[in-house]
Amino acid sequence: MSNINEDERDFMSVGGEVMLFTIDNAVYGIEVKYVNEIIGIEQITVVPKVPYYIKGVINIRGKVVPIISTRARFGKEEIPYDERTCIIVLEFDGGNQVGMIVDRVREVMVASPEEISVTPTHNNVNTSHYIKNIIENEDGIKLLLNCERLIMDL
Amino acid sequence: MAKFEAGMESMVDMYIFETNSLIEQLDQILMKTENENSFGEEEINEIFRIMHTVKGSSAMMGLENMSHLAHAIEDMFFIIREDNPVISDMRTLYDIVFTASDLLKAEIEILQDEDSEPTDFSEHMQKIKTYAEFLKNGGGDAAPAMTAAAAAPAGAASTAPAPAAGGDEMVTVSVCGDESLTTVKVTFEEDCKMENLRALLVINNIRNECAVLKFEPGDIEDNADTSKIIAEQGFIIHFAPAQTTAEDVISLIGSTMNVKTCDVVSMGGEKKTEVPLSSLTSVKVTFEEECKMENLRALMIVNNIREECELLAFTPEDIETNQSTAAYIKDNGFIVRFKSDYGDDAIMGLIKETANVKSVELMETAVAAAASASAIPSEAQKAEAPAQEAQAAQGTAPAAAEAPKPAAASANAPAPAAQAEKKPADNKAASVKQSLISVNLNKLDQLLNLVGEIVIAESMVTSNPDLKGLRLDNFQKAARQLKKLNSEMQEAVMSIRMVPISGAFNKMTRIVRDMKVKLNKDVELVFEGEDTEVDKSIIDNLNDPLMHMVRNSVDHGIEEDVQDRINAGKPAKGKVTLSAYSSSGDVVIMVSDDGAGMDPEKILDKAERNGVLSKPRYEYTEKEALNLVMLPGFSTNETVTEYSGRGVGMDVVRQNIEKVGGTVSVDSKVGEGTSFIIKIPLSLSIVDGMEVSVGKSIFTIPISQINQSFKLNPNQLLRDTSGNEMIMIFGECYPLIRLYEIYGLDGAETDLYKGIIISVEADGKKACILADELLGEQQVVVKPFAPLLNNYNVKQNGMSGCSILGDGSITIILDVTNII
Repeated sequence: MSNINEDERDFMSVGGEVMLFTIDNAVYGIEVKYVNEIIGIEQITVVPKVPYYIKGVINIRGKVVPIISTRARFGKEEIPYDERTCIIVLEFDGGNQVGMIVDRVREVMVASPEEISVTPTHNNVNTSHYIKNIIENEDGIKLLLNCERLIMDL
Repeated sequence: MAKFEAGMESMVDMYIFETNSLIEQLDQILMKTENENSFGEEEINEIFRIMHTVKGSSAMMGLENMSHLAHAIEDMFFIIREDNPVISDMRTLYDIVFTASDLLKAEIEILQDEDSEPTDFSEHMQKIKTYAEFLKNGGGDAAPAMTAAAAAPAGAASTAPAPAAGGDEMVTVSVCGDESLTTVKVTFEEDCKMENLRALLVINNIRNECAVLKFEPGDIEDNADTSKIIAEQGFIIHFAPAQTTAEDVISLIGSTMNVKTCDVVSMGGEKKTEVPLSSLTSVKVTFEEECKMENLRALMIVNNIREECELLAFTPEDIETNQSTAAYIKDNGFIVRFKSDYGDDAIMGLIKETANVKSVELMETAVAAAASASAIPSEAQKAEAPAQEAQAAQGTAPAAAEAPKPAAASANAPAPAAQAEKKPADNKAASVKQSLISVNLNKLDQLLNLVGEIVIAESMVTSNPDLKGLRLDNFQKAARQLKKLNSEMQEAVMSIRMVPISGAFNKMTRIVRDMKVKLNKDVELVFEGEDTEVDKSIIDNLNDPLMHMVRNSVDHGIEEDVQDRINAGKPAKGKVTLSAYSSSGDVVIMVSDDGAGMDPEKILDKAERNGVLSKPRYEYTEKEALNLVMLPGFSTNETVTEYSGRGVGMDVVRQNIEKVGGTVSVDSKVGEGTSFIIKIPLSLSIVDGMEVSVGKSIFTIPISQINQSFKLNPNQLLRDTSGNEMIMIFGECYPLIRLYEIYGLDGAETDLYKGIIISVEADGKKACILADELLGEQQVVVKPFAPLLNNYNVKQNGMSGCSILGDGSITIILDVTNII
């Protein structure tokens, strides 16, 4: 846990590149260092007996990569995929890849330290377990996701 | 890896590998000698050599604690070898050495852990030293216990004869001292600035060419102040070239940017230390008559043996630079004088191996001291000991062996008999070594992955949808050829990864040995089929399970009381058998004992008490009852001993084996013994499978688990009282499993008569599976599930992995064992 905290502080103090995507109308961000590639939606092979938000696996150049639906993960209603639906392929330490289905991918922005703020916690309820930081600039508010928790703390 | 100096990290793997195999070798020798209850000269030398190498390489890695420990043992064996004491107290000796080997092993294990501190071995080292003193003092007439020996170390020391190595002297200098290094002083152009970085540039330039590389000041990279020192005093480099010559390295230094001068302070190998001739072994080398350029051939010899020798001199000296020495060598031979820890035989062997060498003759050392001869012949020369004693020993030994001959420098009679005998063995060892290489396992994994990819790519080409309906005779022919080659390649790659299981078995001898002593049981360990080959990754996962099972067998398999065995008409000595054989794609490993066996009723009693029974007791078959011992926390042993009884063991065994896709089962007969049977697939990665479709999904069932497939006949279907469907085949009844039902898949065929029934068998259990249709047989490459999916017990749900098909789609490989 301490590593994550250090990492958080690090991002807070220096900022960095963030990739933005949307689900419904909310804008979320992930640190670019996790993003391996973005691909269009493709045939997903169902893996039985796993939670509903794990949609299955796809073949990315010979690698079998599990795919989660970000919508389902956030407890939102699932909508049919369209031509703007994307899979963001994340890569973690050790070459572990996971794909996230998102509605739309926007752009990559550079977040400066003064735009980044911590997420609030109140009444011992961590309302923002999966949100690492909040980024606010003239375009509005973006929620920076904590990828490790989002993917691994299932 | 803060433990290691910069630049050493790459060596760590190699070091660990090497040291581990050396220590294993040590264990084996000890085990062998313990059985025979005597140390042969060979064995002592071998142990000596092993400890010496461990010491040297540990010192090189900067692991002082390990190097010291190895040194202490080396010293002890030096005494054993030199003084040849009567060792009556063998047990203590073995305990000491075994403990040391365990300590070393444990230390290697924690080496990779960055945070671990070097372990302090001083306590054990004290024990070794005390025992060494005790040995030196004549050894065991009275066979005093360790404590007694420890009580009187001082007395022992004072009465000890002089020539033996002092156990208290801790020599940590690495074997190949600085004498072999070439020293150069580099100066930079005056106005170049940042001398430290330029110096670093020089170092980086020559790093690859140097086997050993040191420089002063040492902290050029981090300390900018060093630039001043370098500007004023120059930059000193000590190095030993790896493949090239020192000259090449020097010219490389000279060609680096901004280097002004590069002066040689001293050349490697030529640096003289004052050593009496008598301490060196001299050999005369002659070359084949026609070979020409004798000076260069001689240089090759020198380069060949330089690394192995502590001290090295040769005549003529200027072979490298002076062409005319060739003629001299041709006429008079080339004389090499050396002192080496590897033993004269080894060095002479090395010289002999060099191209064009005709003969190597041992010359009489000049000073044939008439000192009393040690009982041990020329092998004494291998001793690494503090200089003086070593000189004495080395001076006397050859003299003793060849005493009658004149001390003339001319050719001597062929080497002493002992040497002559040893030589073939040495040569053999050398040739075996050369035909083996050690490869990083990662590279092999990569190779295997590539082969897997090729298999996939092949099916992508040959069963390409574009080809459908075309008549392509030549293409098909070529495709068949490709397929054949691919499967041959696959086999070859697999065979590379195969290692005999004997390595894993041999480790067990040690465990049995320790337990025999501790538990005071007479048990012998027998191997069968230990040359059966298994994939390396499986072997790695076998060590723990095997250990638990062997412990189990010795501890509660074999009867506690010898009388019980005799009463039962069994030999007093218990027998634990480790056997391995391969059968149809699986390797079967059995650990059997001829002990009391397990009583299924007792197991059921206990299971009932522990509340682990999952169905009514009367429904358990004998086999199922026996297999209950694999449940976590289940131990039939009433008392917990050091070795077993905590009920953890068999559970660990099961987990480890299942991790590599294997199964464990137990078989036991009361009064006759117990067998644990492990079944592991020979190779993990490529499976012959039958593809079946269920709705939109494609599953692959390993062919090895399929008995048959058929369309259901209405009269084969039965239903029991609770509505469970069963299918009757040839008078036997099997449960029916609808895949779509257990996996919750949509769009699948639900009509039993339209779908296909596949009868499967795994682990002795049989069942029928309903699928939509059979798609065909194919070789698939198993890819493990991502860790994310493994969190959800996909394995327990009958999915062992996935694979990519020819058209790029993914199939899930089923493991029938976990479905039925």
